[in-house]
Amino acid sequence: MNPSSALLQVEDLHVSYGPAEVVRGVSFAVGEGRALALIGESGSGKSTIARAVLRLLGSRRARVDGSITVRGREITGLREREFLPLRGRVLGFVPQDPGSSLNPVRSIGAQALEAAALVPGTRSRAQREALVVSALERVGLPEPQRIADSFPHQLSGGQLQRVLIALAILPGPRLLVADEPTSALDVTVQEQILDLLDELRRELGIGVLLITHDLAVAAARADEVVVLQDGSIQEAGPTDSVFTAPRSPYTRALQADVPGLNPDRFAGLRAERDERHPAAGADLQVDVRGISRTFRTREREVRALADVSFTIPRGRTHALVGESGSGKSTAARALLGLETMDAGTLDVGGVEVDPSDPRALRELRRHLQIVHQNPFTSLDPRFTVGRIVREPLDLYRVGDRAAREERAAWALEAVRLPERLRDRRPGALSGGQRQRVAIARALALQPDVLVLDEPTSALDVTVQAGILEVLATLQRDLGLTYLFISHDLGVVRQFADTLTVLRRGEVVESGSVEEVFAVPREEYTRALISSIPAREGVGASA
Amino acid sequence: MSAAATETTAGSSPAGTSAAARTARRYGSFALRRTGQALVVIALAYVLVFLVLAAIPGDPISAQLDNPQNGYSEEEKAQIRAFHGLDRPVLVQLLVSLGNALRGELGTSMSTSQPVAAMIGEAIPSTLALAVTALALAILLAAVLGLLSRLLPEGPLNSLVRSLPAAFLSTPNFLIGLVLIQVLAVNLGLFSLVEPESARSTLVAALTLAIPVSAQIAQVFITALDESSGQDYAEVALSRGLPPVQVVLRHLLRPSLLPTVTVVGLVLGEVLGGSLITETIFGRAGVGTVVQKAVSSQDVPVLLAAVVLSATVFVMVNLVIDLLYPLLDPRLRVGKESR
Repeated sequence: MNPSSALLQVEDLHVSYGPAEVVRGVSFAVGEGRALALIGESGSGKSTIARAVLRLLGSRRARVDGSITVRGREITGLREREFLPLRGRVLGFVPQDPGSSLNPVRSIGAQALEAAALVPGTRSRAQREALVVSALERVGLPEPQRIADSFPHQLSGGQLQRVLIALAILPGPRLLVADEPTSALDVTVQEQILDLLDELRRELGIGVLLITHDLAVAAARADEVVVLQDGSIQEAGPTDSVFTAPRSPYTRALQADVPGLNPDRFAGLRAERDERHPAAGADLQVDVRGISRTFRTREREVRALADVSFTIPRGRTHALVGESGSGKSTAARALLGLETMDAGTLDVGGVEVDPSDPRALRELRRHLQIVHQNPFTSLDPRFTVGRIVREPLDLYRVGDRAAREERAAWALEAVRLPERLRDRRPGALSGGQRQRVAIARALALQPDVLVLDEPTSALDVTVQAGILEVLATLQRDLGLTYLFISHDLGVVRQFADTLTVLRRGEVVESGSVEEVFAVPREEYTRALISSIPAREGVGASA
Repeated sequence: MSAAATETTAGSSPAGTSAAARTARRYGSFALRRTGQALVVIALAYVLVFLVLAAIPGDPISAQLDNPQNGYSEEEKAQIRAFHGLDRPVLVQLLVSLGNALRGELGTSMSTSQPVAAMIGEAIPSTLALAVTALALAILLAAVLGLLSRLLPEGPLNSLVRSLPAAFLSTPNFLIGLVLIQVLAVNLGLFSLVEPESARSTLVAALTLAIPVSAQIAQVFITALDESSGQDYAEVALSRGLPPVQVVLRHLLRPSLLPTVTVVGLVLGEVLGGSLITETIFGRAGVGTVVQKAVSSQDVPVLLAAVVLSATVFVMVNLVIDLLYPLLDPRLRVGKESR
């Protein structure tokens, strides 16, 4: 591309926070109507670059060097007063988490009118209202007046992200910087939002700088990609060539860890498992029959589960798949005896789960442990790693002190955590290390069943691949039974034997993973499967 | 604080009148319920204070009657006791006293024989003027400090503003009062010590009381503003091209008011308690003086009335604050509408 025609040109950008340099000599350019994706894992500097372009780094702490030009005009040296007219009107911003990106105490309409008032030439209130209504309609919100009268907490995540995109395009910007615009959304909604961004780019000729950790999203949506690691560019170029023939080892590794691109990643481990435990799979470890649960408030009733049944053979993995509100977490809580069902039975190892019998529950949990979604909140920050892993053994008074220490050491080794981390506290660990600690804690009692509640959804893809490999290896070696809760069908295809698809508390479809993926019977399942981005090879865009 | 300033471009809300009416009805029943609860709390406070005062041995009348120098006959003693209702069981006294209080009769002082209502009624205007002025000043001061902490660029001046609340808080009330008297009255002659009820004197006394109280409000307000400034919506509003000052006024102010209003309710006790000390320093004849005399003479009816009065004020202000929450934050409006 001819640099002079570039909408946004970044040249040798350096950003440091104090002595720490987080962006080191990054250069790229985005043209009119083009989409460029900055790809990287957490800490790669991709969000810092976006904030440097938008000047949202906070004045004092960050130091920015290098050149950023917008339509040929250098903006790094501009004073705040000179930069202000560029905000919104030339450079639009679509944030990551729509749930927290609108002011919760003000109506959508109030915030939209405020944004409209910043557009030059909108003197009258009627003009502003018309602008707001047309922007809301433009992003596919059918009842703009109702949306405008709503407060943020009354709308869904997808609706809020549409509102935010509407507010961003309202002043007619030339470039949209979208910082992980879909990572907080359900997969099917994710597709719709990405489609919307594509559409705006095509029809309004807006350039898009897409920040994402999701290689598959970048592969499907961007013309060009820039792969970042530790603040430096590892690889850059047209999407097709980067994905079909990655030159740098980092890009190759990153690509190998994307579940959607590598469905057979754990096939070898699972084949070995089947050889070692040939008898497993014959009898049922978990048998859930017809469970139903309705939550009632004074205002309304929510049916969380309606006549849901599934079984898990011993030593196998069953996946509960669904979007938020599908009831998958309620089912997991029921299995742990944390939730009383209105109807139905749950058997674990031939024993019925009875939430009203504390003693039976205590016995149950010796055999059934859980790994939670978020390793940043599920570990006590005051405990050392060793104590966290030992705690269940202390609670169940397993053996003497030495035996407990030995068992904890075994569990830490099983999840491949180095011995030296034993005396650290969670604050000193990375997300992946923390999740390994959580798995080790669940393993300590040597349970038969692990409930894995979205165990990798808070982690980067390479870290996710490592955790999944640990789990697959443990199943091979110990014959563990997994209930795997996930919204990510790409991971489910790699990792699970059977699955149940839930939607609004009802079973949509169930069966073996091979069958369901090969011939999904239900429309909803097809939608979920096709929302695994870039699953048929790469480079969907031209 | 000017909550109104945040909503200059209030959203369009002509449509959906039925939903609005439903919300209003829900708010009405919520307000009614809270008011009922508040009245119960006041009644319980009355009972509790009455029982505690009854349990304390001694009262001025018994002291007088039992003094042999006064030489009352047994008959006279019984008559006087009966006049004050002291001859009946405590529970009956409580019911009678509660019934009288409901009719607005607070009884007669045991030491001065004046009606309690009149004694307190005379003292209230002075105390009310002091307390209301003090609270208003405290809120004003806290608002100014909070806004400055956000609007001033990072630097020594901003740090100074942020450290003021801690300094205010650690300075004792009487010291501030004495310094203000020395500087403003004695050295500068801005107000007169012999006219303690004049507007200027009231203002200075209120300032004495307001400074430590404002510090507590300001600390919460500044923290709340800092927290909302770190929220995503503040960054997004900035990215849309809203000038930073507007971001503070339109986006940060109202979410920060919730914890701030809560603390205003809590520091009210301090304002009421602090007014006793302040009245003494500035020689004002207010409720504080009445209470002080009643305590030293164990004048039960006066104490009862004074304590219940401050409990009522406290409960009422907190009731108002409770009723404000749903207006400040739509998420607290009872009952969610469907998506």
